[in-house]
Amino acid sequence: MSDAAGANAPKPSSSVKLVLLGEAAVGKSSLVLRFVNNDFQENKEPTIGGKQRPQTSPYESMRKTSSSRLSLGMNNGPGMADKCSLPTRTIKFEIWDTAGQERFASLAPMYYRNAQAALVVYDVTKPSSLTKAKHWVAELQRQASPGIVIALVGNKLDLTNDGGDASAASALEAEPESADADGEEGAGEEGEEHDATPGDARKVSTREASSYADEEGLLFFETSAKTGTNVVDVFTAIANAIPESSLKTGRGGAGTGQTALGGRSADDARVNLGERNAATAKEGCAC
Amino acid sequence: MESLADTKWDVIIAGTGLYQSLLALALSRSGKKVLHLDQNPHYGGSDAAFSLDEAQEWMNSVNQRPGRSPFEDAKIFTYQHPPDSPRSPPSQSDSEQSERPAGTPDLRPKLAASRAYTLSLSPYFLYTRSALISILISSKVYRQLEFVALGSWWIHTPDSPTNDTAELGATRIFHRVPGNREDVFADAHISMKSKRTLMRFLRHISKSQDEDSGETDGDLSVPFGEYLSTNFSVPDDLLHALRSLSLSQQSPQDTPASYAVPRVKRHLASIGSMGVGFGGVVSKYGGASEILQVACRASAVGGGTIALDTGISSLKDGGVTSEEEHPVEVQISSGETVRSKCVVGSVWDLPNQELPSLSTKVARSITVASSSFASLFPITTEGAPLPASTILMFPGDTLSHPQSPPVYLQVHSSDTGDCPRQQSVIYGSVAIPGSEGHTLIECAVDRLLRAEGPQAVVLWSMRYTQSGRLSTDGSSPNIHNPSPHVFSFPPSSLDLTWEDEIVDMVKQVWVKIVGDEVDHDDFMIFEDREGTTDD
Repeated sequence: MSDAAGANAPKPSSSVKLVLLGEAAVGKSSLVLRFVNNDFQENKEPTIGGKQRPQTSPYESMRKTSSSRLSLGMNNGPGMADKCSLPTRTIKFEIWDTAGQERFASLAPMYYRNAQAALVVYDVTKPSSLTKAKHWVAELQRQASPGIVIALVGNKLDLTNDGGDASAASALEAEPESADADGEEGAGEEGEEHDATPGDARKVSTREASSYADEEGLLFFETSAKTGTNVVDVFTAIANAIPESSLKTGRGGAGTGQTALGGRSADDARVNLGERNAATAKEGCAC
Repeated sequence: MESLADTKWDVIIAGTGLYQSLLALALSRSGKKVLHLDQNPHYGGSDAAFSLDEAQEWMNSVNQRPGRSPFEDAKIFTYQHPPDSPRSPPSQSDSEQSERPAGTPDLRPKLAASRAYTLSLSPYFLYTRSALISILISSKVYRQLEFVALGSWWIHTPDSPTNDTAELGATRIFHRVPGNREDVFADAHISMKSKRTLMRFLRHISKSQDEDSGETDGDLSVPFGEYLSTNFSVPDDLLHALRSLSLSQQSPQDTPASYAVPRVKRHLASIGSMGVGFGGVVSKYGGASEILQVACRASAVGGGTIALDTGISSLKDGGVTSEEEHPVEVQISSGETVRSKCVVGSVWDLPNQELPSLSTKVARSITVASSSFASLFPITTEGAPLPASTILMFPGDTLSHPQSPPVYLQVHSSDTGDCPRQQSVIYGSVAIPGSEGHTLIECAVDRLLRAEGPQAVVLWSMRYTQSGRLSTDGSSPNIHNPSPHVFSFPPSSLDLTWEDEIVDMVKQVWVKIVGDEVDHDDFMIFEDREGTTDD
């Protein structure tokens, strides 16, 4: 899986910090797991919860590379090397998990710092989770960088009647690549609500959420982390929505413009403490 | 919201200052069930960092609740700068901003939006050879931090010959402190004779660094200046420079060689140890404030639970004879009662604590200036990173107070993330509390701005007095143990860099809590927790 040539890849590549927000148990981590590993775990423990964390550990941040289709002429300045003739650019998502810090209103400012994208997740079977999602959108508008790309995502589409119908919600051309919705083996010992609910459990209409998303200028999708429906599409749409200007500065944030010292950019100032430890660093680090 | 009382905790940590946050991380990764509280709605306690608006709120709460924090007499000034006279008197922040005449374009330097600033109560830098850097690396916390380099040290020299050259720029009233041997040779201000004596001293202390031998070091109990003159014949004009490398905030006669020598050694040993041309780094976006937030997050990833805006109202320790597995009963500000095996905090976070007699107080200020002070940030070694922070030392005699401790200004360029481009944040400190200290800092800041030129003005400033301890006090700090299961960290350090004692203290408490369950050599050594996929 690890691409040794990644470092020398000719494609322009940018790292994008993406933060996850949403009420507990709406499937934030599952969405990421689906996207990053194309995997889903039934009865997944809450991300944080003290005692045991069986299958997945909480993580500092996950990284996943995604290519977005963008025309070179539109998005790359004249300074770009001409070997970048591929009509794609590579986006490396650095996905940050709240690690449960949101539970007692204690998300640190550093969580939002220089985030270029946010995934605000709610559960289509739980109206209160949309209310919470709206709260997070407001919080992002208050705390995060002004240009942040926000995607509102209604998860657990598999619990609705249109669960198998991948194109149900999204205005985009949804591409159900893993249509084998029931392919998961029920690893859990006790049935979770997922399996227990027969028929349509939808409590939040697509129209209600999408019109809210329109008002606020958010990307909008309904997904199923369980079946994979629309999951990749969410991330692709985010990658496409991130303005080139914000990619150039990367995580440095407002790093364009020149310093008074004559055109040195903020990158010249950064010190990499890890360099000296490169030899001992774990392999497979995507940075 | 779920209840914190549902869990029986191994440890409750009160306060999210740097000590507590590092401890929370260490304990949560040692398998302890950690509840981490802070009575404030923000992270950091006395190590916090603020936007302009948050600084205003902080000032109000400091002044409304005296004795509840190590801070007092906080005051904020905003400045009006009419086009004609760039230096107008400050107005208190509660006054209205005057409107400029309609139709005239406003070219005056002005403040950006509140959130463009991250103004730190703990902007201290880290030496690259220090215990704190070591644990930030071994714990992988550094991966989520961005560091910028600390550049040159400067000594204020009001009568410097370079004043003649009519060049503008702050450096005309400063001498750069030579930070290594190459610097000494290149320095045009130092006579050949002085260079020889200085080299002898530098050689001496770097030698004993390598050998750590018992070679006689001379009498270290005398003031550092006297030590240098007696043992190495270092001329008077170099004493300030060498003193500045020790970062002593005491007056020359109160800075013993036993304090200064090991610190100058540390300075020299740090240069180049993590990259060419620098020996110190500053964590972007508010210094310690950002480090502790990353530590808290890593602690949460390790299973810790954190709740802001939740203080400890009362605490009852069952004592050593208690049969309870969780002998400490804690009432938190939400009204809930939670139980824990032990509680850790500082005097400001735990109830019923007798306030230590804090004899040490310093005056501090944070100033937003409308200049980037480009000349203060030279790259002095090829291949070195562009410095983003610099240290200016104003000896007492240069401010007409020969007996007074020096004023230190730490200037952060916008590359630190503390302020927008074309502006700087000047953090001032002097070991004289109250208005006397603030007058000295103000004088130093004013000289810096005047030397830089008319476009350099103060846009915003805050001053306050902070109690704590200085490592020059001589006594080593102790963990207080008011009852068998309660540990209290000493008041925060007022030093300008993090002394290794902070890591020692965090480790001490960690050892007391984990006991023999964990190998003590594994303190703060963690594997990466990042789920990494590349395709």
